[in-house]
Amino acid sequence: MNYPIWDVGGLGAGLVVAIIAIIHVLISHVAVGGGAFLVVAEIWSRRQPDGQRVRDWLHTFATFFLVYTTVLGATTGVGIWFSVQLASAEAISLLIHQFVFAWAIEWVFFLSELTVLYLYYYGFKRNTPRMQTFLAGAYFVIAWGSLVVINGILTFMLTPGAWTIENKDIAAGFFNPGYFPALLIRTVTMFLLAGLAGFLVASRIRDEEFKGRIIQFCVKWVIPGAILVPGLGYWYFTTLPASTVTILAGGTVGVVGGTLSALTRMAILAGVAGTSLVLGTLVFAAYPKTVNTIAAISMLLVAQLGIMGAEFFREMGRKPYVIHGVLYSNGLWVKDAKDPARLNGPYLEKAKWHGGVASGTLAHGEQVFRLQCASCHTRDGYRSVVYRTRNWTAGFGSRWLGTMHDMGVMPPFQGDALDKAALVAYVLSLRGETVDPRDLLPDRQATAQGDDLDPDGSGQALPGLEVAGAEVGR
Amino acid sequence: MADHMHTVPEEALKELPPAHKALGKLGRALLARFPVWPIVDFLRNKKVPEHRHAAWYMMGGLALFFFAIQVFTGILLMVYYRPAEPWQSVQRIVMEVPYGNLMRSIHHWSANLMILTLFLHMFSAYFMKAYRAPREGTWLVGLALLGLCMAFGFSGYLLPWDDLSFFATNVGLTEMEKAPGLGPWLASLLRGGPAVTTDTIGRFYVLHVVVLPLAVLGLIGMHLLFVQIQGMSEPDSFAALPACQKKHKKFFFDYFASEIPVWLAAFALLVALSAIWPRALEAEADPFGAAPLGIKPEWYFLAQYQALKLFPGKLEYAGMALMGIVPLLCALVPFFDRAVPSDRRGTWIERAGVALLVGFVVLTVWGWIS
Repeated sequence: MNYPIWDVGGLGAGLVVAIIAIIHVLISHVAVGGGAFLVVAEIWSRRQPDGQRVRDWLHTFATFFLVYTTVLGATTGVGIWFSVQLASAEAISLLIHQFVFAWAIEWVFFLSELTVLYLYYYGFKRNTPRMQTFLAGAYFVIAWGSLVVINGILTFMLTPGAWTIENKDIAAGFFNPGYFPALLIRTVTMFLLAGLAGFLVASRIRDEEFKGRIIQFCVKWVIPGAILVPGLGYWYFTTLPASTVTILAGGTVGVVGGTLSALTRMAILAGVAGTSLVLGTLVFAAYPKTVNTIAAISMLLVAQLGIMGAEFFREMGRKPYVIHGVLYSNGLWVKDAKDPARLNGPYLEKAKWHGGVASGTLAHGEQVFRLQCASCHTRDGYRSVVYRTRNWTAGFGSRWLGTMHDMGVMPPFQGDALDKAALVAYVLSLRGETVDPRDLLPDRQATAQGDDLDPDGSGQALPGLEVAGAEVGR
Repeated sequence: MADHMHTVPEEALKELPPAHKALGKLGRALLARFPVWPIVDFLRNKKVPEHRHAAWYMMGGLALFFFAIQVFTGILLMVYYRPAEPWQSVQRIVMEVPYGNLMRSIHHWSANLMILTLFLHMFSAYFMKAYRAPREGTWLVGLALLGLCMAFGFSGYLLPWDDLSFFATNVGLTEMEKAPGLGPWLASLLRGGPAVTTDTIGRFYVLHVVVLPLAVLGLIGMHLLFVQIQGMSEPDSFAALPACQKKHKKFFFDYFASEIPVWLAAFALLVALSAIWPRALEAEADPFGAAPLGIKPEWYFLAQYQALKLFPGKLEYAGMALMGIVPLLCALVPFFDRAVPSDRRGTWIERAGVALLVGFVVLTVWGWIS
């Protein structure tokens, strides 16, 4: 553990990243798909009797597009990388070291994309329609190029494929098993989102006949994507690692979340989002003059919900890793976890950012919480530790920490018996119980086993524990 | 013409498809048997004002949509729910019934979104001054509907009979008991005795699936009838426009078509919330056990809960009086603020509304984080 921890109170670092990420995904895909939309609309305008009027509307679309992508897109783009490097500095360090050139290329694409977008936007009155089409085309190719590059880095984190920490095969990591299905899903999605953005801008047109024609033009961008994306999701699913499939298809164990597997819930959400988009778009096609801003925003909200679901379940399947098979979510490298001396030795000696707390105290336990739990859990907010351990007894916690990794979704605990005892005492103190960590050490506990609620050590005897695929409301 | 058959109006004949087509034939046959053309004609010509606040009109339809979801999922849950074995039957719904927990989660989230939408509907009607004559009745019925839906939430919360629902209901009924006057009697009536037991379940169940649905359905019918008869309320800025500048949209299907995407988004939101955060079933209620940590009422009672905390000890009665006065004042607003366009009284009512809204939000958030 070589980096300080970002402790975000009741929200948790993961939720902050997720909130920024789902907004950024929507914006960035509109930014790329919108390029293709501009090209096709430019060509389409030349065949229209009122082509100049269509191009004037495209100027409005481009204004929305420029503000939307450069302000919201850029801020959330910076925000997402800023927050993820705070949430998991090790993971971002590895990605930078492995894909530094890919990131440099992506950055060049991004700058070029903005430059060409400004040339397109400010050239409306000066350039010929043909030049505008060329600039829009150049913008699209460059923007899609940035997607082609970043997609390699993003998919690497869940499906590194033949890449290993030993071979560091960049090509294998970049063109990993999830690369092509994810690229296709993102490409189809960006066309869909461009159509939805078109609805939103067109909803402000006052002339109903003209609005109707623009809406009909946008309809063709949405329907194919809404039908194809849920199906393409299955292809992506087939490339996932076995442990991820187990988590997603394994169902929720225990009363807490019911029997539906994460995969089923994800499929239901994808089906409902896709169907809602198709039905809503068909209503727009049937009554194009009635499309208003609220209706158009509603369709964007449906897409945003679909994206949110995809992101949520993908992150669920990533457990217990940040980079699958390489780095655990608590900052422990898989290679280090294989070394018992390193895994089970005193934790604070390895961790550099704990401020020199005294061993065997609640402050010790809090540092272990911050360094090993806080990347995923909060004390009593989102993914609350207080809630998840509400049935713990003093004797149970230390043993559960030793076996939690066997359940499949939790990383191994790093540290010795005193680290475990300090963490358990700290967790119990969060609900007002006062326990001396040293009283929880195994030699003292041998005489006090009576209150252990999990005699077989499986970790599943108590309701409310985190188990495979379980996601509850707190 | 046979007895009790009616003459199809000329206007209807013009609008219907030709008589030799199936739809035309069916339309004529129906109108000959049921003289409902004036109603059909009324709905055909129903119009909605078009102005910059018109989006708020959608809240009523959205609340009705969530209520329909509640009825549908509620009926499905009733198939398996047993008041005699509350926790065990909910556990069966969660663990054994195919898609049982999905339906239960949708029911839970839809209840929350319905109440949220009703609050938005109430505040938008308040700030658009939709309570003024002749719509006082619509406003009062709307307030009653909000109260009944909150009672729906309270009565449904106990039914799973888990730790959380038991202790939260206990806290709610204890507060109710403290209220002077009818408080102790009402709390005892709801509990079915001095303590919350499985007898309470029977009462809450009947309330939740028979009494409240009948009352709500009746009031929804009245509310909708009033709206149809009196038309949509117009904000002052729109009402002041000359007739030639006022724009309206036909309800069928122009306005209706623009509502469909909103309902689709609402449904997608329900499914997303239920898929990502399914409703948890806690351990079976143990009346003799310790209450779960940090127990709080549902969010729509949090403002009242937090407000009562501000009045400790004997001052609690003052807090309770305040809880009673606020809805009463809301009910009296139409009889105090009557002027069109708005006068000084109207301005004070607006300020009071802003204070109420801000107070509600602040107390709810405060209750949530404290």
